[in-house]
Amino acid sequence: MKVHSMAKWHWLEHVRDREQLLRLKVLANVPLFAGLSRRQLGKLLVKFFEKEYPSGETIFREGEPGKALFIVLTGRVSICRSLKKEEELLATLTAGGYFGELALIDDQPRFASVRALEPSVLLILYKSDFDDLIEGHRTLAIRVMGNLLKTLAAYVRRAQTQANGRNSMSPGRTSAPDQRTVTSEDVPRD
Amino acid sequence: MIEGEPEKVNGFGRSNSTGLMPPPSVIWALAIAFVTLIVYLSRGFVLLLFLSATIAYLLNPIVKVAEAAMIKRRVAVSVIYLGIGVAFLVTSYFVFPRLRAEVNTLSGNLPFFGQRFDEAVDVLQNEIVERYPAADGLFTTRELRYEKLNDFIEQQVADLPLLLGHLASIVLAGVLIPFFSFFFLRDSRKIVKFVLDRLPANHIETTVAVWCEIDRTVGRYLRGLAIEGIVVGVSAALGLTILGVNYPLLLGLVTGFANIVPYLGPIIGGATAVLVALIQFKSLTVIAQVVILYLSLKLLDLVAIQPLAVGKGNDLHPVLLIASIIVGEHALGIIGMIIAVPTITILQKIASLLLERRRYSSRMLHSRPKSDVQLQTYVC
Repeated sequence: MKVHSMAKWHWLEHVRDREQLLRLKVLANVPLFAGLSRRQLGKLLVKFFEKEYPSGETIFREGEPGKALFIVLTGRVSICRSLKKEEELLATLTAGGYFGELALIDDQPRFASVRALEPSVLLILYKSDFDDLIEGHRTLAIRVMGNLLKTLAAYVRRAQTQANGRNSMSPGRTSAPDQRTVTSEDVPRD
Repeated sequence: MIEGEPEKVNGFGRSNSTGLMPPPSVIWALAIAFVTLIVYLSRGFVLLLFLSATIAYLLNPIVKVAEAAMIKRRVAVSVIYLGIGVAFLVTSYFVFPRLRAEVNTLSGNLPFFGQRFDEAVDVLQNEIVERYPAADGLFTTRELRYEKLNDFIEQQVADLPLLLGHLASIVLAGVLIPFFSFFFLRDSRKIVKFVLDRLPANHIETTVAVWCEIDRTVGRYLRGLAIEGIVVGVSAALGLTILGVNYPLLLGLVTGFANIVPYLGPIIGGATAVLVALIQFKSLTVIAQVVILYLSLKLLDLVAIQPLAVGKGNDLHPVLLIASIIVGEHALGIIGMIIAVPTITILQKIASLLLERRRYSSRMLHSRPKSDVQLQTYVC
């Protein structure tokens, strides 16, 4: 029995892709893909491209067309937004962090700029590849879209809260929050 | 995963490249012209690589399934090649003896081909004239036809050394293509990553977009074409066996391969079968049956096989499609006709994505594009 299990272990060791397993682990911890089975994550994983970014390299800039979702595999990236002449740091993401998810929904320009703070490896999922995948996998589509909607709902609530805060300070203003000010990157990911 | 709270930082300065550098469009045009020239000059080798990449494309979905199951890519590719090898051996054992017998019979009959063809045409002419006497004046005299046929055969015999030269290239290609395709398939991820890592970050999304579009369109087209070729070839072989036509396997093989060439391929396949049926039966009825079989196959192909197998893989305008085939034929012969469609599809996809990006950039200079979603004045 023991010999059999040892043989099995060795066999798996030679066949299993350890790098791919590490990527799968990272992907499994991404909130956007929460609830997906290992098999679904595997199907999703093969759609990703991988790229290394040297420290200081800009991944994309605010206003550029967005066509892909990015996931930090290793390293650290910063997300900033132009504010008049300065730039506001919105967040710093490490392994498992994701950004650019709104590109999976529409082709609007990027809300913020992203830069690698240290040598980083990112996984890139192109929108049409994602569309192709969800077209043939209903459960996967429902789960990911559900997670995406939860994220969007969080953006809206946050924007609403911020707008309410502003309204309470200036009683004359009653308009609804401007949804364009909601960034794809400022969602709380706890 | 998120570290730190919002704070003010400086950075993200876009470098202004002003100087003596020519505009990017000129650099791109020169690069494309240079690459085209290199490709044309080494077209034999490029063609070999193209065919290898085609095989890799056809097998890539199976590798992706294995990769999704966390199996090492090289293991998956090795197993697939082993499987293909076993399948080839099994096919060789069961099908090749029959195919070889057909080839041997055909080569044995080739010296009498002219005479038999001539006899068959005579019989057919008489049959037609008997049924429709008015058609008598439409046919050429036997002497003239014999002269033309002899010229044709002499030309083919003169080209035989050239054909043998090609045969050596074909054998070499038969060895090199599986070899190259194995490495293409095994290392395609590494190749893509190598290219992506060396590209400037601001081109990544467009490059990934172009690659994905090419992968989707061309991959679907090539896989569809392969499925279509196999289904049409097997159906033709079955149909010809039922009709009792000689060399059904060989003709099915020719039909399947010829089907790869758009428009002209089915005609070549059908004409070959008609020729064999004409020599064998010397009867208008069987020829009509063979023609009906090939027309039915074409109809089946258009109605069922193509929509299922190729799908929306090729959305080229028919004029562009035919023009590309003609240009391909002029540049690289029959192989050029086969690769014309995927090549023009790739170029069309690249051009449309680059134009889209250009349009987007110029629009961004003036105004931020608006979403087409109607927003409510409240959220609750």
